[in-house]
Amino acid sequence: MAACGWRIEKQEPLHSQSAVRHPPSANVKLPYSEAFKDHLANPRRAGELDRPDAVVEQINPVCGDRLRLSLRVRAGRVEAARFLAYGCAPTLACGSALAELLEGMTVEEAARLTRRDIVDALGGLPSRKQHAAALAVETLQAALQQLA
Amino acid sequence: MDHSATTPVDRRVVEAMLPYLTERFGNPSSVHFYGQEARGAVDRARREVAALVNARPNEIVFLSGGTEANNLAIRGVCEAAAERGRHVITSAIEHSSVRGICDALERRDWEVTRLPVYEDGLVRVEDVRRALRPDTVLLSVHLANNEIGTVQPVAELGALVRERRAAGHKHLRLHTDAVQAPGRMRVDVEELGCDLLSLSAHKLHAPKGVGALYVRRGVRLAPQNVGGHQERERRGGTEAVALIVAFGEAARLAREELDARVEHMRTLRERFEAGVRERVSDVVFNGDRARRLPHISNVSFRFIEGEGLLINLDMQGVAVSTGSACSSGSLEPSPVILALGRNDELARGSIRFSLGKDTTAEDIDYVLEVLPRAVENLRRLSPLYQTKVSMADGGLRMAD
Repeated sequence: MAACGWRIEKQEPLHSQSAVRHPPSANVKLPYSEAFKDHLANPRRAGELDRPDAVVEQINPVCGDRLRLSLRVRAGRVEAARFLAYGCAPTLACGSALAELLEGMTVEEAARLTRRDIVDALGGLPSRKQHAAALAVETLQAALQQLA
Repeated sequence: MDHSATTPVDRRVVEAMLPYLTERFGNPSSVHFYGQEARGAVDRARREVAALVNARPNEIVFLSGGTEANNLAIRGVCEAAAERGRHVITSAIEHSSVRGICDALERRDWEVTRLPVYEDGLVRVEDVRRALRPDTVLLSVHLANNEIGTVQPVAELGALVRERRAAGHKHLRLHTDAVQAPGRMRVDVEELGCDLLSLSAHKLHAPKGVGALYVRRGVRLAPQNVGGHQERERRGGTEAVALIVAFGEAARLAREELDARVEHMRTLRERFEAGVRERVSDVVFNGDRARRLPHISNVSFRFIEGEGLLINLDMQGVAVSTGSACSSGSLEPSPVILALGRNDELARGSIRFSLGKDTTAEDIDYVLEVLPRAVENLRRLSPLYQTKVSMADGGLRMAD
């Protein structure tokens, strides 16, 4: 038999013997951005407000995701915003990004927030997850209507 | 913690296959030395895979994996038996490949009966008996479920099929998708009484891209890959020699190490489940407690969605699977969990933890350390949980 020129060197073990490993290195492409994962790991302004000026809960009728938003407004400005969310990870992250964006905004500025603003705050969302940002904007609009 | 999805390739398996990626590159169909060397290797692997399930070597057809095995089994039997009848019986909680094949059959004017399962995740032999009709050509029920690990009464189904065949229902065949089972429980085609059985190599520490279908001698099967004489005309295409060699070695190891692996995984799972029960409230364990594979623990965490938990755990180096819809890309949560009679919330909050032969007690303890915190963090965000908390506490509010 002729040698074909291949030679396999002895290698390090191909996998760690432990089933739990360190988080994937930065060169592993995950579907979500760092900003997204940060919102998920450290949600901003989670919870509910005492004596809110508006509190609404919207449900995505297709997948059943829920977002609850409560706002306190002083002198035309969002003084405090809190969210609660149930559903897929983008719904949680969008709730967190929305509440963070809202605080300090005037009501007029809040009314101009778009899906794009929320998606940008999360460093992007996969196309099939855009509905989570839509739910966030719908919830915001419903809350603003309650204020009016 | 996701060994039901796939397993790391065993070092010994890599070593066995490497020569067939390098020096021993022959085509098993060639008559010369290189070909015969490869042929010998494929034959040895065939004997090992046959021994894994107590079959004869010539009853093993090598192919690309579990999905192809299910395709060849179901479509192959149905096409070969079409003039005898056009009715198939399967269960509601089959692997998606079997569900997809059955859906495709229905579009071609076949009738499919999907057996229910009960809260324990098991099909009932009486339901099968009631569903059988003279024009039934195939009963396809998996051996062990990939999400909850429940082990179906396939041996009882095999006895029923034999009884029916003896009574004149000669074209009735039994197929079982056993992809999750080897290396985790004993698999014996004689005890099971099945006519066809699907296997996948990457679930038992071999690489992806190879699997096998056991076809009992005498079972008529229409090949789905035609144009090649390989695998006794049942699956055309040059054999993936290196992968088949790897499968053979993995099969040998799975057979020889079975008892030790089962004992190891079962002990660790008990440690895991006791820890979860102790540290996390509002959890529901899915699937029969006794009749299940030793490595799977499927848990529904109330008030939260599985995908958020999956990503949280992933960020801490723990890989799991979820039955939530979002992560699978569909709108419906796991049909397996729903079929147990669980509500939408429990199906969406289900997580599959699946251990392997190399999982350690330290791994389990690490998961038990990070899991309760991850669940608690997500519940703090959940309007469902806050509603429960405020009802319990008479109106507790989070601080501003």
